[in-house]
Amino acid sequence: MELGWGDGLPLVPPTEARVRMHISKSGRFPDEVVAVLLPLRAECTVEKIAINAVMAGAPAESMPLLIAAVEAMAESKFELASLNATTGSVVPALIVNGPIRHELEIPFGAGCLGGVAGPAPAIGRAIRLLMRNVAGQVIDVTSQSTFGTPGRVAGIVFGEWEEKSPWAPLAERLGVPGNAVTAYGAMGTANICDMIGNTADQFLQMIGKSLAYPGANGFLPSSQWSETLVAINPVWAAVIGKAFPNIQDVQEKIYQYASIPIDFLDPVYKEPIERIGRLKKGRVHLIQKPEEVFVMVAGGMGGLHCAMLHSWGTCLTTTKPVRMP
Amino acid sequence: MTRGLILDPTASRSDDIADAGPDLATLEGKIIGFRVDELWRSWDWVAEIWAQELERTGAIVKFWRAGGRTGTVGERVIQELDAFTDTLDAAIVGMANCGSCTSWTIHDALWAARKDIPTVAVATRHFEQLAANLAKRGGRSGLRRYILPYPLDILQKAEVHDIARDHYRSFLRTLGVRDRLAVEPAA
Repeated sequence: MELGWGDGLPLVPPTEARVRMHISKSGRFPDEVVAVLLPLRAECTVEKIAINAVMAGAPAESMPLLIAAVEAMAESKFELASLNATTGSVVPALIVNGPIRHELEIPFGAGCLGGVAGPAPAIGRAIRLLMRNVAGQVIDVTSQSTFGTPGRVAGIVFGEWEEKSPWAPLAERLGVPGNAVTAYGAMGTANICDMIGNTADQFLQMIGKSLAYPGANGFLPSSQWSETLVAINPVWAAVIGKAFPNIQDVQEKIYQYASIPIDFLDPVYKEPIERIGRLKKGRVHLIQKPEEVFVMVAGGMGGLHCAMLHSWGTCLTTTKPVRMP
Repeated sequence: MTRGLILDPTASRSDDIADAGPDLATLEGKIIGFRVDELWRSWDWVAEIWAQELERTGAIVKFWRAGGRTGTVGERVIQELDAFTDTLDAAIVGMANCGSCTSWTIHDALWAARKDIPTVAVATRHFEQLAANLAKRGGRSGLRRYILPYPLDILQKAEVHDIARDHYRSFLRTLGVRDRLAVEPAA
């Protein structure tokens, strides 16, 4: 802790024996460079991943998932350098698809975003320690995050309830079927509750209109993208899927509903939004195009709630296969 | 007490260029490029005052506005940055006034500095240390940095213009200009 290796929580000492066990479960050589992580521009080897995983308490069996997550975050389109430096509170959320969800006990049902006893927080913490110890993300040294977010301690690691989804798994729609991890630059999580609606359109209206709060990064004229992740509970998903079996229709609906009239904002905001061509028929859309809406199914059978994860606006979502040894 | 060996979880980069790079000996006839951004009107306002002053002393000023960093837009922006810096005798890159924009400012300043032209990255006071850290992590701790007051973006245009004028001579010295204008105190 005195060496600045930790996050303030107790750490498991990364002894050689423990680290060797983790490396053995990766099926890789310890000195293999998985990626160069920014902003430190340091080489992240399999051994460094293993050491930080041990410290975080992540199971050895999670090594292939951790390696895939590092690969995803190191993609240039994910823009890790600025993500790790920003004043924003963005944290890479990791969404897990495929049979590995069951093998690693990645939560996708009730309490999946936090509260389920299992390895997900330790896996997320391993990624956070890697960001600190290898990528060099340290508050007031590189990271300028004004507030940070609880997700920067134990990450955001959850799965999709594929078995309850009326649509293909998220990762498959992003080009990677089977075991996969998707890295998404999330500005935290927020809740949408609806206890009145009972049709697909009403649910999608509530989701879209709730997404479009004026201070969301997607509305910033400087935001290159405005990807948005929506985790729909299985109860609503069944209703929505019946009405809209084609996921593109769901994305289109949410895109359309997630807009505000420009007059809702002070006039000073109109000029930059108009200049970049985002003013359409007197309205500005949170999301620039329907394909930037990522819909997945997760959460408990209690229904009533939907999780929205706004994006930071610079990084592009990246999906990588999880290769088991 | 039992003692045991544990392994180091950190990684680091060891190479570094501590030298600031070449000075801009004179302004006369030199092509000086301002890299501005889509974020900070205050930096546009500083740059326009500095550009006027530079042109008054015989420099030729060019502007380039940086954009997004990812996807096809990002690829185009990097090509533009490369082409822009190819045409310059000196580069003024700003503005480091938030976390991510400091990252991009330093990235673009390092790009220019690698072409061995006098380069200054402009930051506001709050982001000074971040700019220094990122320059070092980028392998060039000696990168010239000029620091403007903070906060700048909540000031009115006239106030920012006054700050730009007050800082002009000191900025020239950071660029390496050693002629009378830079060295003599302002009247």
